[in-house]
Amino acid sequence: MPRHKNLVLAHLWLAFGVFAVATVFGVWQMWVRSPLHAPYENPQNYFLSVTAHGVSMAYVLTTFFVMGFGYFVAETALRQALPWAEGAWIGFWVAAAGAVMAALTILSGGASVLYTFYPPLTASPFFYIGLVMVVVGSWIWCAIMIAAMARWKRANPGQAVPLAMFATVANAIMWLWTTAGVAVELLFQVIPAAIGWTDTVDVGMSRTLFSWTLHAIVYFWLLPAYIAFYTMAPEAAGGRLYSDTMGRLTFVLFLLYSLPVGLHHLFMDPEHSTGFKFVQTTLTALVTVPTLLTVFTITASFEVAGRLNGGTGVFGWLRRLPWHRPMVLATGLAFVMLWFGGGGGLINMSYGMNAMIHNTSWITAHFHLIFGGTVVIMYFAIAYQIWPQLTGRAVDAGELAQQRWQLWLWAIGMMVMTLPWHWLGLEGQWRRVAHFNYDDPLIAWWGSWVDLSLLGGVILLISAWLFIVNLARLHARQPAGQAQAQPMHYAISLHPVVRLPAALNGFALWNALVLVLMAAAYGWPIGQFIAQPSPAAIVHHVDRPG
Amino acid sequence: MDRKWRLWGTLGVLAALAVGGLLGFIVLPVVQGRAVGIDAFTAICRAVGILPGSPARPTPPSEATPQPVTQVAWTTATFEELYHAERANGARLAGELCVSCHTLEGNTTDPSIPRNIGQSVFALYKQLHDFRSGSRVNETMSPLVKDLDDKQIADLAAYYGRLFRGAIDPDQSGLYVGTDIENIVSNGDVARGLPPCSACHATRTGGPIETPTLTGQYAQYLEAQLKAFASGTRHNDIYHRMRSVAAKLTPDEIRLLAIRYSGQ
Repeated sequence: MPRHKNLVLAHLWLAFGVFAVATVFGVWQMWVRSPLHAPYENPQNYFLSVTAHGVSMAYVLTTFFVMGFGYFVAETALRQALPWAEGAWIGFWVAAAGAVMAALTILSGGASVLYTFYPPLTASPFFYIGLVMVVVGSWIWCAIMIAAMARWKRANPGQAVPLAMFATVANAIMWLWTTAGVAVELLFQVIPAAIGWTDTVDVGMSRTLFSWTLHAIVYFWLLPAYIAFYTMAPEAAGGRLYSDTMGRLTFVLFLLYSLPVGLHHLFMDPEHSTGFKFVQTTLTALVTVPTLLTVFTITASFEVAGRLNGGTGVFGWLRRLPWHRPMVLATGLAFVMLWFGGGGGLINMSYGMNAMIHNTSWITAHFHLIFGGTVVIMYFAIAYQIWPQLTGRAVDAGELAQQRWQLWLWAIGMMVMTLPWHWLGLEGQWRRVAHFNYDDPLIAWWGSWVDLSLLGGVILLISAWLFIVNLARLHARQPAGQAQAQPMHYAISLHPVVRLPAALNGFALWNALVLVLMAAAYGWPIGQFIAQPSPAAIVHHVDRPG
Repeated sequence: MDRKWRLWGTLGVLAALAVGGLLGFIVLPVVQGRAVGIDAFTAICRAVGILPGSPARPTPPSEATPQPVTQVAWTTATFEELYHAERANGARLAGELCVSCHTLEGNTTDPSIPRNIGQSVFALYKQLHDFRSGSRVNETMSPLVKDLDDKQIADLAAYYGRLFRGAIDPDQSGLYVGTDIENIVSNGDVARGLPPCSACHATRTGGPIETPTLTGQYAQYLEAQLKAFASGTRHNDIYHRMRSVAAKLTPDEIRLLAIRYSGQ
């Protein structure tokens, strides 16, 4: 059981509280874009809402969840106390204060710039400073994760770092690399412009620096889901992890190939040459390798569990899996969504095919399916798994059923919302707009598909609030006679890890290779702006009257 | 075992990078360049980003002679000039040149003369500049501004534009004159290819930057300008934006839109 339960709970409750509020914004946005008349409907409110929804989901939910879960893993997987718990609380309060500052700026209308940092559109400086504070809080978390693993290795020389912790530290290191791009953009370009120290900004450079962060940040959000796949799902299924080495390789490959690939967000941008775009396409393609490794390994682990439970035949083991357990059910549903979302992603990352769906609703649908679907459903499953550890209260059968309901509603809602959305994107529906004119005969037929998407959104809203209720119930007093929560166990691998190469028990080699890849992939794309300065764009302040 | 992992790990990562680089920087540009008559060296330089252009397309020859409808370019220098304009000098110039029609407060009572108070600085700058260059012609305005330099124009624009929260206030809403007109304002009319007025003339963050604020302007002036755009006698709108819009509006719509924005 973790020693700093309140630390973990503070992070996770803040994450999920903000998440619950942000789902309301999301549904309202779907409603505004549908043919139905929504209350408070106007473009200013819409873009304010998109900013609030995006920032809440992409920066607050994720960062606080990753931090809270990381602290939990550090204590339960390593079976030692956190190296600097006071620092963790400082990180929490800095990040929480930053999140509040950003939220107030958004709600006052001073930051309706969406959640991407694309100048010359510029918000109030308080918005950016607030988000920088969230990142600074997360850097403290990174330092604590790295220190915890280093201390464990010193105390256990030659031993394999538990996979859950190895993966968490891979994420922490990846996050330090990831945030470098946006930190430079914010500190040297956006914040000086927002304050008014500069009147112009080099848009090409800021887009490039943001792209440095833009893809890897998605893997920062994703890795907790993969940690659950490898270290929790096989255990919950009643089996063993098929291969520990495969897990380590997966997380190493994510560290390597989530970073030098961001230019695939700038395929249509004129400031980069075809060669660099192609190289980064090639490197992006390699991100499919850890995903496929994972699908293989986890399916194999489940097969082991199903067969141990008496399953026979080619697919008979599937029926013998304990689907009533939320972690097993969520993994199955996450894989279904990963199939569709990952397939869509392959289209986005292809230099040629991207042009078909560029800037259409397809993109919005894609990241909702892969992040909101695959990743967030695993956040739910992780919460259900660890909440009894944090509250000391076991889950009864009725509560388990309610958790399954919530997961099913989430997966169904996500599919109902995103599949029509993808389709409309293919048909050319544009994104980042507040309104469609359904009187136009060319697009009138979109209306019923958008209504269907909205229905999916409503199902998601119900599921989100049911999730909050489910977690809150686990804080109630233990009913008399009920068993206590079991201590946390991570999955054991089928073949015990006898000896690991240093490369799979630490990150020195991989950090050096990330440096090489980043220099090759981003050296000239960033360097060109210094070698050949481009025409500057005029800063456009959304928080000041025109 | 450690050494083997280090060696093969590094080689694997470098090999993938090399394959991507070979294809992206050499094979594809050379093959695509050859198909459109670009020599191998130029194609590779383009793929790397040292030379401009795509390795898969010849440089487009441009024989078009530009014929700008305005001489105003929104360069950094223009913005610097506007940001650092001297309002005191603008007030002095207004006292000499503008006061008799526009008054020093920019709030004339003659509805055929536009109000300047609180109008966008950028819009005022562009119109004054256009009167001087001949892009826009008016028998009173054109001779008055012909000897002003860029700085004086900027000072004047800043003077009237920053008479803050004047008669022209983008935060005010328009007068309701019927559903049809509101529909044109917020949705346009697809059948006629009319974009919504609010696509550019929004409250606060309208755009492009030279877009004037309409709310609170005199209806008579707005109507006259729409008619001038419709007939083409006024033609200082970039990309024919206003000429193409105004020509599609009926006289009745022009009258009602002018009333709607004037608020009177």
